[in-house]
Amino acid sequence: MFFPTIDLIAQNCRRRARRHGLLTVILLAIVVTLFAVTLSLGQSFTPPGDVMRVLLGEDVAGATFTVGKLRLPRSVLSVLAGLAFGLGGVTFQLMLRNPLASPDIIGITSGASAAAVFAIVVLSLSGPIVSVLAVGAGLGVALLVYALSFRSGVAGTRLILVGIGISAMLESVVAYILSSAPAWNLQEAMRWLTGSVNGAQLGQALPLLLALATFGGLLLSRARDLEALRLGDDMAAALGVKVARTRMLVIVAAVGMIASATAVTGPVAFVAFLSGPIASRVVGRNGSLLIPAALIGAILVLGGDYVGQFLLPGRYPVGVVTGALGAPYLIYQIVRANRMGGSL
Amino acid sequence: MTVRSTHSLTACELSAGYNHAEILHALDLAIPPGRITAIVGANACGKSTLLRTMSRLISPSHGHVLLDGKSIHRIPSRELARTLGLLPQSPIAPEGITVADLVSRGRHPHQSLFSRWTRKDDEAVESALAATKTVELAERPVDELSGGQRQRVWIAMALAQQTDVLLLDEPTTFLDINHQVEVLDLLTDLNHARGTTVVMVLHDLNLAARYADYLVAIAEGCVHVAGSPEDVLTEENVRQVFGLESRVITDPTSGRPIMLPIGRHRMAEEQDLKENRS
Repeated sequence: MFFPTIDLIAQNCRRRARRHGLLTVILLAIVVTLFAVTLSLGQSFTPPGDVMRVLLGEDVAGATFTVGKLRLPRSVLSVLAGLAFGLGGVTFQLMLRNPLASPDIIGITSGASAAAVFAIVVLSLSGPIVSVLAVGAGLGVALLVYALSFRSGVAGTRLILVGIGISAMLESVVAYILSSAPAWNLQEAMRWLTGSVNGAQLGQALPLLLALATFGGLLLSRARDLEALRLGDDMAAALGVKVARTRMLVIVAAVGMIASATAVTGPVAFVAFLSGPIASRVVGRNGSLLIPAALIGAILVLGGDYVGQFLLPGRYPVGVVTGALGAPYLIYQIVRANRMGGSL
Repeated sequence: MTVRSTHSLTACELSAGYNHAEILHALDLAIPPGRITAIVGANACGKSTLLRTMSRLISPSHGHVLLDGKSIHRIPSRELARTLGLLPQSPIAPEGITVADLVSRGRHPHQSLFSRWTRKDDEAVESALAATKTVELAERPVDELSGGQRQRVWIAMALAQQTDVLLLDEPTTFLDINHQVEVLDLLTDLNHARGTTVVMVLHDLNLAARYADYLVAIAEGCVHVAGSPEDVLTEENVRQVFGLESRVITDPTSGRPIMLPIGRHRMAEEQDLKENRS
């Protein structure tokens, strides 16, 4: 039998795969460009040559401080946190098959944030131990939300509603700690309320980089199983995916990544929530969304911070900008889910 | 000449259920290799549970499901997925996915992190599209298809998995009668052409008797009777399994038994009575 269109189908599949790859590369290029711009163009302009020399460790008068101490830590942390938020967010959305099931909506980010602010303000801790506590709290919240929404299986909507409730409670915990702390400043408070990369230090980047490499690597190695899970648990099991084990692994990895980023930058509003849907619009649906969503996350945090610093009257932390972007989209998603029960 | 699948699938003293409610009670069943088996029974008799346990979606509380003599819970899941396929009752199509992309996901157990898409994968997808007559739908989003088309696409995906044994949980639910027949014809083609062992849970007794080589009637978590449709679909068995009075006659088209329920109303005598009165 001869089916003339079959070659065409295979061709189209390959074309779409190429397009997916190309668009991913373009996203990467945008991240790199934004990174370069944020290093050289702030309140003053530093020529790219000087930026390079600073990066290579040379002492450049007038640039070493601005680029090396102010801009570089900020941009590096923005990229790392953005990647972590984007990747962790889209993982949850794909796994629970609902764009509203992002970790910043269902309380995981607020859990990590509450733990971090408690550790820093009340226990006067700092450094990696804060990240560890944040990751622990994030996992604890994930477990709690899961357990509370469990009734002969976990239904997506129930999990989201429980998560929103828990999230609200944890946010009030953050507000309470901040308001009863003996000494606190506005910048610090803004970080734990909406997320900010103000006062970023390069030393914070290493633990985040490690978390990203470990958990991100784990997630990417499970990308195919995650795709299979989108067809439903039964279908995924029929295709040879160990559903329970994969889900556990994926949750731990995604929470670990989100919480590590939150411990450094605070809960940068809506980045986890927005990255996946934007990535799916940009690269289409034929191919894995994990890497594109991570890159979109980096673009959102880098770009949002830049806009907040230089392009608005007054200076705002990144979370205010991404929050302003995300809120209308959240409303749109809720209206849509209300109408038809959304999925990514 | 077809090479029939020789894989044996058996259930041995199988007990299984959800939480603490046991639904299957020490059930024994041997699926004839290379044939079409239909599992029938009243609602909540355990027929779906049986299929789900046989495809390792549920772990048995007691007993085993054996594939070629080996417990399926001992076989690595990817390896099992290359021999035993399953089309669950309500699979989910990701929003916006095209038919070709969905069908190609059936190749999942044949690939790994390090082995890329090969010519063999392409061929499997092509022949699955061709066998289910979905080639012309290949570029369309699955969301836009009709129920009958969609079911063909899901079957195509199961075919792309190229398993010798294929289990289907009520593949004809929600379909119009013409599409029900179409799907069952398609599965019969598959059985004839590739010798695939087909096991399906069916609601409709008459369609089950029409298409199955081997009919299994489940009642109260046990196999009530199993055998050829002629042996299984009898008035006596329908009464015992469904609690329904019926007449069984021979379908003039297929020569298979066909069951006509006897309800309490609209019987010929009653009809006569009514007409006499008026």
